[in-house]
Amino acid sequence: MLTQSLKLLSLTTAIAIAASGMARAGSMEDLVAAAKKEGTLTTIALPHDWCNYGGAIEGFKAKYGLAVNELNPDAGSGDEVEAIKANKGNTGSQAPDVIDVGLSFGPQAKKDGLIQPYKVSTWDEIPDSAKDADGFWYGDYYGVMSMFVNKDLVKESPKDWADLQKPEFANMVALAGDPRQANQAISGVFAAGLSAANGDVAKAGDAGLDFFKGLNSKGNFVPVVGKAAPFAQGTTPIVLAWDYNALSWADGLKGNPPSEVIVPPTGVVAGVYVQAISAFAPHPNAAKLWMEYLYSDEGQLAWLKGYCHPIRFNAMSKAGKIPADLMAKLPPAENYAKAVFPTLDEQAAYKKTITENWDKVVGANVK
Amino acid sequence: MNAKRIWSWFVVAISAFYFIMPLVATFEFSMRMRRGEYSFDAYRSVLSDQQFASTFGYSVGMALITIVMNSLLIVPTAYWVRLRMPQLRPVIEFVTLLPLVIPSIVVVFGYLRLYNSSSFLPFTNSDTGTNILLVFGFMEMSLPYMYRSVDTAMRTIDVNVLTEAAESLGAKWHTILFRCIFPNVLTGVLSGAFISFAIAVGEFTMPSLLNRPAFGPYLALIGANKAYEPPALAIIAFAMTWISIILINITTRLQKGAAGAR
Amino acid sequence: MAVAQPLIDRRTITNWIGVAPFALFAILFLIAPTVYLIRGAFLTPEGDLTLSNIASLFESNILAAFSISVKVSAASAIGGAVIGFALAAAISIGGLPQWVRNAVLTFCGVASNFAGVPLAFAFLATLGRLGLVTIVLRDVFGVNLYATGFNLLSFIGLTITYMYFQIPLMVLIVTPAIDGLKREWSEAASILGATTWQYWRLVVIPILWPSVFGTLLLLFANAFGAVATAVALTGSSLNIVPIVLFAQIRGDVLHNANLGYAIAFGMVVITGISNFIYIWLRMRAERWQK
Repeated sequence: MLTQSLKLLSLTTAIAIAASGMARAGSMEDLVAAAKKEGTLTTIALPHDWCNYGGAIEGFKAKYGLAVNELNPDAGSGDEVEAIKANKGNTGSQAPDVIDVGLSFGPQAKKDGLIQPYKVSTWDEIPDSAKDADGFWYGDYYGVMSMFVNKDLVKESPKDWADLQKPEFANMVALAGDPRQANQAISGVFAAGLSAANGDVAKAGDAGLDFFKGLNSKGNFVPVVGKAAPFAQGTTPIVLAWDYNALSWADGLKGNPPSEVIVPPTGVVAGVYVQAISAFAPHPNAAKLWMEYLYSDEGQLAWLKGYCHPIRFNAMSKAGKIPADLMAKLPPAENYAKAVFPTLDEQAAYKKTITENWDKVVGANVK
Repeated sequence: MNAKRIWSWFVVAISAFYFIMPLVATFEFSMRMRRGEYSFDAYRSVLSDQQFASTFGYSVGMALITIVMNSLLIVPTAYWVRLRMPQLRPVIEFVTLLPLVIPSIVVVFGYLRLYNSSSFLPFTNSDTGTNILLVFGFMEMSLPYMYRSVDTAMRTIDVNVLTEAAESLGAKWHTILFRCIFPNVLTGVLSGAFISFAIAVGEFTMPSLLNRPAFGPYLALIGANKAYEPPALAIIAFAMTWISIILINITTRLQKGAAGAR
Repeated sequence: MAVAQPLIDRRTITNWIGVAPFALFAILFLIAPTVYLIRGAFLTPEGDLTLSNIASLFESNILAAFSISVKVSAASAIGGAVIGFALAAAISIGGLPQWVRNAVLTFCGVASNFAGVPLAFAFLATLGRLGLVTIVLRDVFGVNLYATGFNLLSFIGLTITYMYFQIPLMVLIVTPAIDGLKREWSEAASILGATTWQYWRLVVIPILWPSVFGTLLLLFANAFGAVATAVALTGSSLNIVPIVLFAQIRGDVLHNANLGYAIAFGMVVITGISNFIYIWLRMRAERWQK
């Protein structure tokens, strides 16, 4: 009898809190129970080798016994947002519950009414600049732009951005995507520009375009999208990609070819991704439980295993929660300390510059 | 006669070189997984993945259903239009070209919005329903090729004369269709069938967004971050699709032979 | 034979019933998504009616994209049609054994859909700077392919790659038409004293050209809509329409889906125009036949 009233009381309180608009993490047990009732979580755009999502998903399944329905791992941030839009009103298995998108997609998705707010229990350890005050979206991990080098074809690795212009790197440098579309490629251009502009963020967009114009006219730039296969085959021996991708590729190649991941001393750009729950999620409680898992120590360390810096890295590091052997696998920490985290406005500005002017300035047009 | 033969062999030889070289290069690269020597490591890695068999089997099944549905829809329609409504031909031809320029991603978004769980035709509510929707999607994608193939074949036979002759001998419409028209346009139907099969097996966007366990999404998943497995997978997929199509070819010819002998 | 009025009505109704299954299929699974796309072309992201998306189509970079797309599609369509026709003729009336025909046709079935990343990678592995053929030419024949100015990552390279699926398409669709050329015709022509060239010019070409041209159009539209191969091969250097379209619909950055729909609408219009030209030409030619 007493337990029943207590349960009723906690349930009413939870409802009251939720109703008041403050989406605080209510009773953890209630959440787990509600999530288990839903039984499934639908994710999208989570390749298993990206930040060790494979490990995170397995850990989540093992801990809570839920099934995870994984949609389109190849999706880009735009795809994820479109998937939410397209599945409005659909509770079938094609509708994603949670998304993991580039920082600039958060505010737009919030504006379009596509996501719902939720603040995880470790909310306060997320830096303010990487989350929405109302709890609609929140940074999950970051990496820095690096150079992935094929040691079979490159005798001496470039040490910094400026080195890439040297003649010994002819027909070698590639981006990891289309700089008119993909976040990773645009960040690559921006990072080169930041180095060339000596840290001036406002000028970095144009500086980056000029850098690649030079790269292209010297014949150093290869317009093919850099990935593990063309890297190993030899078409793109130097790929500019997020450090976690490069390290993950290096793991997969197992020394065939031998490779090196270089975080340059100048022009260190950090890319933040954010999590959000779909406003039309068919399994909202499973979604919230997933967020709780990801932002718990276990989840954050799973990402670190995938070479991504989890968003609570600084807080966890101070509290001594980071194992030394994981730290040893990452590139040296000094260069990470110099990382620049562009604000939303700065990102919007340089993205506009780069995407709109790439064809004109770099003119790597196929003849 | 001799000059013609020599020229024909020459054309086939050059074409064979052009088509086989890229496959050889892909194969050669896929064998390089073990450093310093050629090995089948990449293939072992791919084939030991149980998902490979299950997704390929699923896609082949869907592809066969697509072929049957396509033939049942397109051949009678092409025949009917030629026979009774030739003025509709331009309209139908334009419609059959649309799938080539409407990206499949837009089509799938359209399906998701039109036929989701809250619509009048809730295909996505169940696995079977979504499978049916996927087949319709594949039919839509292979429509241009299937129609053009069948129509080209029908152009060379005079459907009007054949139909009149069959009717005057007392044949009903289904006899005409299946015993007179179909066998004569069989090459066209087969061509269309081959293309439909390859499309259904390799397609990525539709099964991915409809969340079906098909081969296309599996290929993309492997290709994302590995270096040697994707080319191995491409070779295996190529070979297995070719074998499936050869089987379809043989089966059809055997059936036709049996029907003829009757 | 005179027919009474009511009979014609019933016949007309039967006619329309005959096309009903196709119409239903087309409406539900093709027209409906297309309408959704066309509707989107005239809306803003917020949902208001606008012509701004259509106006953006005439901006210089999108216009340039259309122009390059048309060129690449036309080049690979013509190349594919010519070589495909030669191959189709070789295997059907070229006097070759049956097994060659079967092997070629079944192979074409597979190759017609071999596109995207696997195809791009295959050509990089063949004709790229470190490709198999490039290396063999250099080490065995002493020929430096890239020194001649050839580059796989170019218009020519993309066209060569596209032909890998264009040629098989042509072969598959045109072979049945060539099969339809009756032996009696070539025999009759030679009896009447025609040379091979005259036979081709006066008998074969008039009969086959609508099929060939129609398939050429199909090849054009096929290349026009192809994106995966171009992205994988020339990534960021080629500004073709589907890439621009995809940038808008699924891009990480630009993401104005309505502009993407407008671009797709532009592609539909171009395809419609080319189809109209083909049909007009064909109607004129068919006036001479039945």
